[in-house]
Amino acid sequence: MSKTLIKLTDIDKSFGAASVLRKVSLQLDEGEIHCLAGENGSGKSTLIKIISGVYRHDAGRIELGGRHYPTLRPIDAIREGVQVIYQDFSLFPNLTVAENLALSDQVESGRAWVSWQRVEAIARESLALIGVDMDTSRLVEELPVSGKQLVAIARAVYCNARVIIMDEPTTTLTDREIASLFALIRRLKERGIATLFVSHKMREMLDITERITILRNGEKVAEGRTEDFDEAGITRAMTGRDIRSDRYVWNGVRSDPVLELRDFTRTGDFQGLNLSLYKGEIVGITGLLGSGRTELAETLFGLRNTRERPGGEKNSGKILRNGREIKVRSVSDAIAEGIAYVPEDRLTEGIFAEQPIERNLFANSYPRFKNALGLLDRAKLRELSSALIRAYNVVASNLKLPIRTLSGGNQQKVMLARWISTGAEVLLLNGPTVGVDVGARFEIYRKLREIAAGGVGILLFSDELQELISNCNRIFVINRGRFTHELDTGALQEDELSALLGLSLEEAIQ
Amino acid sequence: MFRKVMATSVLLMCSLLLITGSASTAEGNFRIATVVKVDGIAWFDRMRVGVDEYAKETGHDLWMVGPAKADAAEQVQIIEDLIAQGVDALCIVPFSVEALEPVLKKARDAGIIVIVHEASTQQNADLIIEAFDNHAYGANIMKQLGEHMGGEGGYLCTVGSLTSKSQNEWIDGAIAYQKEHFPNMYEVAPRIETYDDATIDYQKIKEALVAHKDLKGVCGGPMPTSAGAGLAIEERGLQGKVFFVGTGLPSIAGQYLENGAIQAIQFWDPAIAGKVMNKIAIAFLEGKQDIVKDQADLGFPGFESIRQDPEKKNLFYGAGWVVVTKENVDEYNF
Amino acid sequence: MNTLSKNRLFQRNEFWLLCLLIVLSLTVGAVNGAFWSANNLFSLFKSTIVTGIFALGVFLVIVSGGIDISFPAFAVFSFYITVKFLLSIKYTGTILLPFLMSMTFGACLGLVNALLLSSFQLAPLIVTLGTGSAVTGFLRAFVGTATLSNLPQPLIDFSRWNIYKKTLADGSIVSFSGAFLILLVLAILIHVMMKRTTLGRGIYAIGGDEVAAKRVGFNVKRLRLFVYSFTGALAGIAGIIHCSLIRLANPRDLEGAEMEVIAAVVLGGASLTGGKGSVAGTLLGVALIVLIKGSLILVGVPSDWQKVVIGLVLITATGLTAWRSRRSDEGGRA
Repeated sequence: MSKTLIKLTDIDKSFGAASVLRKVSLQLDEGEIHCLAGENGSGKSTLIKIISGVYRHDAGRIELGGRHYPTLRPIDAIREGVQVIYQDFSLFPNLTVAENLALSDQVESGRAWVSWQRVEAIARESLALIGVDMDTSRLVEELPVSGKQLVAIARAVYCNARVIIMDEPTTTLTDREIASLFALIRRLKERGIATLFVSHKMREMLDITERITILRNGEKVAEGRTEDFDEAGITRAMTGRDIRSDRYVWNGVRSDPVLELRDFTRTGDFQGLNLSLYKGEIVGITGLLGSGRTELAETLFGLRNTRERPGGEKNSGKILRNGREIKVRSVSDAIAEGIAYVPEDRLTEGIFAEQPIERNLFANSYPRFKNALGLLDRAKLRELSSALIRAYNVVASNLKLPIRTLSGGNQQKVMLARWISTGAEVLLLNGPTVGVDVGARFEIYRKLREIAAGGVGILLFSDELQELISNCNRIFVINRGRFTHELDTGALQEDELSALLGLSLEEAIQ
Repeated sequence: MFRKVMATSVLLMCSLLLITGSASTAEGNFRIATVVKVDGIAWFDRMRVGVDEYAKETGHDLWMVGPAKADAAEQVQIIEDLIAQGVDALCIVPFSVEALEPVLKKARDAGIIVIVHEASTQQNADLIIEAFDNHAYGANIMKQLGEHMGGEGGYLCTVGSLTSKSQNEWIDGAIAYQKEHFPNMYEVAPRIETYDDATIDYQKIKEALVAHKDLKGVCGGPMPTSAGAGLAIEERGLQGKVFFVGTGLPSIAGQYLENGAIQAIQFWDPAIAGKVMNKIAIAFLEGKQDIVKDQADLGFPGFESIRQDPEKKNLFYGAGWVVVTKENVDEYNF
Repeated sequence: MNTLSKNRLFQRNEFWLLCLLIVLSLTVGAVNGAFWSANNLFSLFKSTIVTGIFALGVFLVIVSGGIDISFPAFAVFSFYITVKFLLSIKYTGTILLPFLMSMTFGACLGLVNALLLSSFQLAPLIVTLGTGSAVTGFLRAFVGTATLSNLPQPLIDFSRWNIYKKTLADGSIVSFSGAFLILLVLAILIHVMMKRTTLGRGIYAIGGDEVAAKRVGFNVKRLRLFVYSFTGALAGIAGIIHCSLIRLANPRDLEGAEMEVIAAVVLGGASLTGGKGSVAGTLLGVALIVLIKGSLILVGVPSDWQKVVIGLVLITATGLTAWRSRRSDEGGRA
């Protein structure tokens, strides 16, 4: 009979008048891999903060390790072995892996002097505990996200974690990295360490977790063994709606492509790409890390300089818009040619985080709002903002608030609205639903279809295979800079597509 | 209630103004402000001593003010405030001649007498009194330096800034004197800027001694050079091999005069300059301005026979510099 | 770093700085061989002392993620009050007391910075701008503005303390100042502190991620208190050394020194966002700036061009550093 590590019974929590959690219960046993699922605003993060002692619960009972805690402080949670891996990992980017791993021990032990041998020893031990090997002399800021995550986990495990809580851990990981992470979690399980996943990535939830608790609007709506749930069931519980994803079907005519690539080459990134994009199509482009996928997207938008680079092969090939050859040397060229781009990392590349939502909506189209005096026509601006917000179903109470106050999904919708309102004819999207929860995701997909129906050609760069299959009528697979496959999505299955990703051109031809 | 408060405040303010105002216009005392370039350096602290002494002597209301930083705009602001306060006369040592022209015109238009010192090109002044002719001051420095150097060898001049007019005129005068009287001397390099900072003087002169093996003399424009050069020469034991003559104050450069690191310093007593300015201002206010004419004796050392500029009739020169060497350094306490 | 592989050496900022330093020295030496004279080299080392000690303090602050521009004001205040006090009691004892006094004043002022920062959550730039100005104003208004030139004998003796002194054939003296040892000792101390003590690692930690530091258990508030007080103490030490070496206690000294010191620290590889930097890099940065400023006359750069040259060299040096770090960032996305 395994021990119960965490037991929450009928937890209530309100912030002022707003009730965020109502009678929520959760149980986590030793070695269990548990998923806490729910849309944005369902109360997941609040619950986590209550478990780790950062927030005080208003009503209900908390038991950690069998002990009842009427008030739980962060230090109590830590002593009970509850370790949270935050989204930003709470690591020191300017210090080495070794030091990051050893620092909390150093501080806790109250030592005044640092013995670097001891630091190395602790580092090696921490990594050994999770069965991972890495160069401990590297600075954490040099590591990829997956590496940082491993360091954070190793540190938690070394600090005698019994429960590791991870908040959206797979968002920025590649498939291979996700597989490694899951293997690690299973190893931790064997040592009795439980993992509580907060996630809304369906695939992974079904793959790795054993039990699942689903929250909606602050209440627990479902709970049980993962194997008793299927994707549709979880989605229904999370959103309260039945969402069907039928595949995108395109009935257009293959003539007059809005965008054409002929033998498009850029030294070092991709070569000999041929593609025709027709009005109303949603064409997917996918490939593994380093395949040239993002480079292509950025080049098409003028983010990468297409000038000749010294000592390399010439960049060659053509881009055509509506049959006319164009040169895209800069972002302004791209915009002038009616190409729009919603980037992968919207936080740093897309939104103006501190600026009001309204400004974000019209960042590139202010000239359209000039009145007779050459000044901004604020009334017109406001009118159009409201119209767009409604059209894109963005949940925003006040358009003057900074855009960062919106959820990821709503931010993404604002990005879409901004670009489409410029009258672009070609829309490039890179990882558009990364970090967006299920409900918002489907709204975005629906919007994309509407946009396509309006005559826009869409290129969807993504590594979420299911997303591509459902929403594209065609998919290109790019590997090591070349298109290896062009597929009709008609009856395509996910595992078929997955298998094609790793193949080189030669292998593909065979 | 509100009205009561207002009325009382207005009454209070009026009485305050009356009190402060009346303190000055009692007994026909003149109110004269001396506005200097920057307040808080030894030089002008000494000028204040003179102004305060003269106030006691004459019974008029005389005081000195200056900006905390050498800044043209701040000096203009102070003068604006004084015009508003309704002073009878202003004695000015300008930081920037051009920057002050507009506000001095304003003062004169308001009937305020403007006496200027250390700025021979000021247009809007009733009278300009220079302690000396700038070129002659510099020439006198070079005369002594040349004698110590035996009339031959390389020398280097320093100025605070390439834009400080009077200092550059001193150096011009020094170099002109050298060319005429010491043909075997030469500049090792064009004059260097030292920003009125003794540490920079020290470092640059040390560097110059390394860069130019033939450097035998330093002609110092700004006052801190006397300390910087003195230290550099003393440290390297170059007494008797490298010579210095330049502007300085006994309190700052005294130790170097005594150990022979520097040969002589030259300055003019700012206290006397302060007194002279105020005396001239008072004369103008009493309608007695014709006491200031060519070869007049203003009753102060160095100003016993002032010289009128042949072209500019309101410009006068004294011969008010003082030379201090090891022999007479004890006579001074500033 | 603990493990240093061969190609890591070439990636390190300090290595390239050293190369730049060597290249510049060779260049200057080629233009004027006198650069390599013992006298000149000793001079350059002497010029690094005060700036170097300031830079060590600023280095700590910058690594902790903050900034401090009040230190020159604190230094001046500390040394001036110390000297004034010692003069009033006609002090002739050991040099230790002046150092201790100045250091303590500096530390207390630094403590004020730290307390203000933690109470008001304002940007360090603003807080230290305020405290610096306030202290300068207070000094000039209430303590004094006169330059004190007859320093207490212990301070004069300190300025004459040399760990090497030789009289050359021509009678001139070559000497290496003992004050440099103080810089060296402090540098070693701070290096060890930053690399080998939890306190030092804590400073790097709060510079890297303050929230993470709190979570790991560091007392961020206490660390900040230490950093700013320590910097203040260093400023006090630098101040008393400065005043002793130039043999003058001038309350207007060191104005604007913060810019140069911060430039040196940043050149040395400390990131303004915090968490990065080394003592070696800081000293190299100081050396670079001292080298450039102290070689312009040797190379023959005319006065009006000197500031331009300094600016250009700084831009190039920082540009190189920035370019190098950009190159290592580029690459690696899906």
